[in-house]
Amino acid sequence: MNLLDRYLLAVKKYLPWKRQDDILAELKGNLESQLEEKEADLGRTLTSDEMQDWVKHLGPPMVMAGRYQPQQYLIGPTIFPMYWWVMRLALLWCLVIYSVIKAVEIIANSPTGSAVLNGVLGAPWVLLITAAWVTAVFAAIEFATTHSLAKFPADIVGHVDWSPGSLPTAEEAGSGGKRPRSFAHAVTEVVFGFLALIWLLLIPSYPFLLMGPGAAYLRMSPYQLATVWVPFFWCIVALNVVQLGWRLIDLVRGTRQNSRALQHLTVKTIGLAATLILFTAPHREWVLLKHPAIDAARYGAAVNSINHGIYTALLWVVAISVMVWLWQIGQMGVDYYRKRVAAEK
Amino acid sequence: MTLADNLFENLRLELRRGCLTLAVLAQLRREHYGYTLRKALAQHGLEIDESTLYPLLRRLETQGLLVSEWREEDKRNKRFYRLSNDGEMMFVELLHEWRELNKSIQNIL
Repeated sequence: MNLLDRYLLAVKKYLPWKRQDDILAELKGNLESQLEEKEADLGRTLTSDEMQDWVKHLGPPMVMAGRYQPQQYLIGPTIFPMYWWVMRLALLWCLVIYSVIKAVEIIANSPTGSAVLNGVLGAPWVLLITAAWVTAVFAAIEFATTHSLAKFPADIVGHVDWSPGSLPTAEEAGSGGKRPRSFAHAVTEVVFGFLALIWLLLIPSYPFLLMGPGAAYLRMSPYQLATVWVPFFWCIVALNVVQLGWRLIDLVRGTRQNSRALQHLTVKTIGLAATLILFTAPHREWVLLKHPAIDAARYGAAVNSINHGIYTALLWVVAISVMVWLWQIGQMGVDYYRKRVAAEK
Repeated sequence: MTLADNLFENLRLELRRGCLTLAVLAQLRREHYGYTLRKALAQHGLEIDESTLYPLLRRLETQGLLVSEWREEDKRNKRFYRLSNDGEMMFVELLHEWRELNKSIQNIL
């Protein structure tokens, strides 16, 4: 078996199996003709070294065979921009969600060094699995679009039917896609913000404003709220005051159209702080028995179950709030970086 | 190879890719098998690697632009290619496109 035959045999291994023999027969015919002519020009057969050089110039067998494959790529240029966009978004969110869940899990259980280390070491695997899934989904889309373009939704293939009319205006783009607020909108917000604050301040004296008939039930029931709800309540009041104050300032200064990212962040930070205050409840008890000595036997299990439910709900609220908070900080960071880069240019 | 060389090589390949298809279609107005096609193109100054040309022929045939048949020549079985009817129409359109593009580039230069 000469070197050319060995080369062809190596190429065969990587060829699509259905057309293997046909492609190989053609390639063999072409290369043999070429070799024959080369030798005829020289008037002799090629030496071993010359043969080596000639076969080498044909390129590695895998490359030669690879070009006969019907599809040269996993994800083609048409859907690649969308793939890349989704991949970045998926990885970012995956990291944020994973971090928050792990943090909450570690805090809720026992915050040891090894638990933190395990959490950190687990992150690359989670990201890898996410990336693999995103790639697999887009590879499947690519396969489907290449094999049956007509059957596939045009907007996935490449936003063929997008409408220029749906593009955001400069103001909308500057405010994260939101329409600027009108004067009437801004005034309504201030008025209703003020009314909401009054309503909030009246709740301690008139609990039915919040709980309706439930207030009467709570008064007659063996349960009462723990004192940790008091600072929580005042934190919510502070949040409303800050929001209302900011809206008033914006209205007076004429900057009402778009609320600033810093305002959103401040409001969310106070909201998060308020939720975190609830975690300071001693023994994770948010609802207590009015007369534990008398009612513990009858209502003890129920109150434990209520407190456990509140605890689980709070964990979720904190997890989601932290994610939103981190997302907003990230957005502010990216905006700041872009502005800085633009200023440097 | 420096970064600039690498970039040039990529851009050169990109530039050549479309032209190669046009050249192959043009040359296959007359029947050829792989090796004689390669030689004919080289004689006109267009050198193409075997690993680029032969798979390209297959791809153009799959796309319906070429037709082929196995025939014996010089005691060897060879696959001969020529333009199909669709290929001829496509060639005319692509040639028109290429001439327009060439004219524009000339005007710009």
